[in-house]
Amino acid sequence: MLSFTPYENPMYFGILGLALLPIVIGILCGKRFHWYETLISVFFLVLTFGGPKITQGLALITYLVYEVLLVWVYTSYRKKNNQTWIFVATVILAIIPLVIVKLTPAIQEGKQAIIGFLGISYLTFKAVQTIMESRDGVLKDFSPWFFLQFLVFFPTISSGPIDRYRRFKRDYDHVPKQEKYFQLLQKGLHNIFMGFVYKYMLAYVFGTMWLPKLEHYALMAHGLSWSLVGVMYVYSMYLFFDFAGYSLFAIGTSYFMGIETPINFNAPFKSHNIKEFWNRWHMTLSFWFRDYIYMRLVFFFMKHKVFKSPKTTANVTYIINMTIMGFWHGVTWYYITYGILHGVALVVNDWWLRYKKGHPGKIPHNKFTEVFATFVTFNFVCFTFLLFSGFLNTMLIAK
Amino acid sequence: MAKKLFLIFGPVLLAALLLIALLFSPFKMNHMSTKTEDKAAVALSPNVLKGQIIKESALSHKQFVPFFGSSEFSRFDMAHPSVLATKYQRRYTPFLMGGPGTQSLTHYFQMQLVTSQLKNRKAVFVISPQWFVKKGARKDAFGFYYSPMQSATWLLSRKASSAEDRYAAKRLLNMPSGKANHTIMMALKRVADGKQITKHERTYLVYEMRLLQHEDQLFSDLKMKNNQGKIDRIAKQLPDHYQLKDLDQLAVAQGKQNTTNNRFDIYNQFYVRRLHDKAKKFKNFEQNWSYVQSPEFSDFELVLNQFASLNMNVEFIIPPVNQKWSAYTGLSQTMLKEFDRKIRYQLQSQGFNNICDLSDKGNVPYFMQDTIHLGWRGWLAADQSIDPFLTKKQKAPHYQMNSKFYSTAWQHQISIKK
Repeated sequence: MLSFTPYENPMYFGILGLALLPIVIGILCGKRFHWYETLISVFFLVLTFGGPKITQGLALITYLVYEVLLVWVYTSYRKKNNQTWIFVATVILAIIPLVIVKLTPAIQEGKQAIIGFLGISYLTFKAVQTIMESRDGVLKDFSPWFFLQFLVFFPTISSGPIDRYRRFKRDYDHVPKQEKYFQLLQKGLHNIFMGFVYKYMLAYVFGTMWLPKLEHYALMAHGLSWSLVGVMYVYSMYLFFDFAGYSLFAIGTSYFMGIETPINFNAPFKSHNIKEFWNRWHMTLSFWFRDYIYMRLVFFFMKHKVFKSPKTTANVTYIINMTIMGFWHGVTWYYITYGILHGVALVVNDWWLRYKKGHPGKIPHNKFTEVFATFVTFNFVCFTFLLFSGFLNTMLIAK
Repeated sequence: MAKKLFLIFGPVLLAALLLIALLFSPFKMNHMSTKTEDKAAVALSPNVLKGQIIKESALSHKQFVPFFGSSEFSRFDMAHPSVLATKYQRRYTPFLMGGPGTQSLTHYFQMQLVTSQLKNRKAVFVISPQWFVKKGARKDAFGFYYSPMQSATWLLSRKASSAEDRYAAKRLLNMPSGKANHTIMMALKRVADGKQITKHERTYLVYEMRLLQHEDQLFSDLKMKNNQGKIDRIAKQLPDHYQLKDLDQLAVAQGKQNTTNNRFDIYNQFYVRRLHDKAKKFKNFEQNWSYVQSPEFSDFELVLNQFASLNMNVEFIIPPVNQKWSAYTGLSQTMLKEFDRKIRYQLQSQGFNNICDLSDKGNVPYFMQDTIHLGWRGWLAADQSIDPFLTKKQKAPHYQMNSKFYSTAWQHQISIKK
């Protein structure tokens, strides 16, 4: 049976184009066929999770039933009651499958959990976000059927960008005006072609042509070498162009369906500091962490007066927030170190900006310092990506 | 509305149409120059081996003689066939086909792309005893030199089902490469079952072929190593006239000069890079190795079958193993003799009688460049058979092929009656 990883080859795009045609015609005529959208969502899910990957497919179905029921029960409960422990228990129940999937390889020597499937993280993010907004009382009219559509929206199912329930619902219920839709089509097409350049040209050059060679030389050198420095930069470029390319495909496809999925990357290597970097890199993930982990923890610590100064509160929360992100990437020393390093960097960054503000006129600020700041940020990020790549671990094992 | 839509999608559609027309058109899109052919003959690049256009273009000239083998070709030293052919302006230019990990199965499939050029031709084939290990050809190495163009061509040219076809299809299905393309896999399954491929499969393969051929035509001459400089440099060291005695002396001198850091007569660089750090590990490491039982024997039969059906005349070279080294690693001499008998039986019983058997020369100093690759005196010895074979008129061979060589019984058979 035919089976694809999303956006992997020309044939996938061919099928995608044909499948989108009725939607495009519909919207141009001012109509949305929700039944057809559901149908092609199911069709693409079967292409992604059927055939040889049917175990993943079954895991996905089970997961969907479980999460939809869980969120449904909670939102119904929330209409009448609002106890904290029920909320906490619901969030825990919602993330348990993801936790199992992430912990299994660490405990069972690299084995994959059978309940896992491509994209489980992104679905969990959507579910938790829906629970939290329901707790806040901003999400009132929950519909399990729509929630399911939101979860399995096929362009973004495997790796995001992570949309929000209410934002998605506005687009889903609404047919864009023709003028506006032309813009979306144009932008969508541009995104997809930009994605080709990113993923199939640049990521190919960095990841397939250069990276293996450099890794080979770095391994042969047994220790620090210029090749290792090369691995660091080339891997960073590969990571960016591969993931940003993928995101562009997902966003472009969404636009064709009249859904304005939020962007995921905004020239991240141009950042002057690490905070700006996280506002430009994997944005939907970092905003999710900001809204549902960082802000929640800060409020919690302030409410319970855990720390005296707000500065300490922010610093501790930065570290917790980024460490959790590290754990989410996978329970290995290098992902966790990657997270902690970024947490520390955010603390240092805040401290430095405060220091600069507190000593006006003392620290120069000009074109050169800006370039220097960008340079430092870029190199720090590349270094953490080298950790993230796991290549240092490979080198350690090879020794 | 139509105008706006056209402004958005028009360029994309136009580009797509042009590209499709270009990629699937039945026209040849590139021409290989003599320079490219000369470079390719000694480039040893995987894209030349797995592709079609360059081999096809070069082998259509009688000047180029296909040399099939593996990693020994990359050892350009003073008596390497390409060096001798350059220096002494021989009537033939070896077209080297082989690299680390190329074995019989790779050669069988890569040959499919140039069958019409190989018809009635002479060729040289260097057998490596090391191919004939228990597990046979390595899957990743096979994949490295495989292109779906090979299997598509092969599938399209099958007629009545034969033992050769069924065995080759099964063998390819054992490899991840054979399963990479769904239609090719299904077609291979049919051939393995002794059936014809379907009409739909045939149509698909024709278009797939065109696409792959165009890719090959457009890009495969872009990535080629240039080895001619190296060859010219080495050729300069040779005396102007071919005198076996002088050349042998030179070979000994060069061998001596280049094997000073170890007691196995192994090329210094090779020893430092590959063996020095692990030398202790190798002691008696190969005691239980065997080259006598292997699926490779049947894979090799595929190659022989192909040679026979193209009416080719082939000189087979059987190199030895460096004896100083094998004594150290404990590789069994009895086993090597057994291998030699078995492979010779497979060759001679079917009418392949041009064999340059060097298997007993493992103890000749500087015969090997390292552990298993022919070196200074080894190539010179091989040349004593290769050159006359290629330059003098040969008797037309008569082949009597026997499908028993595809059986697992033959793959496992240990000894041959004398």
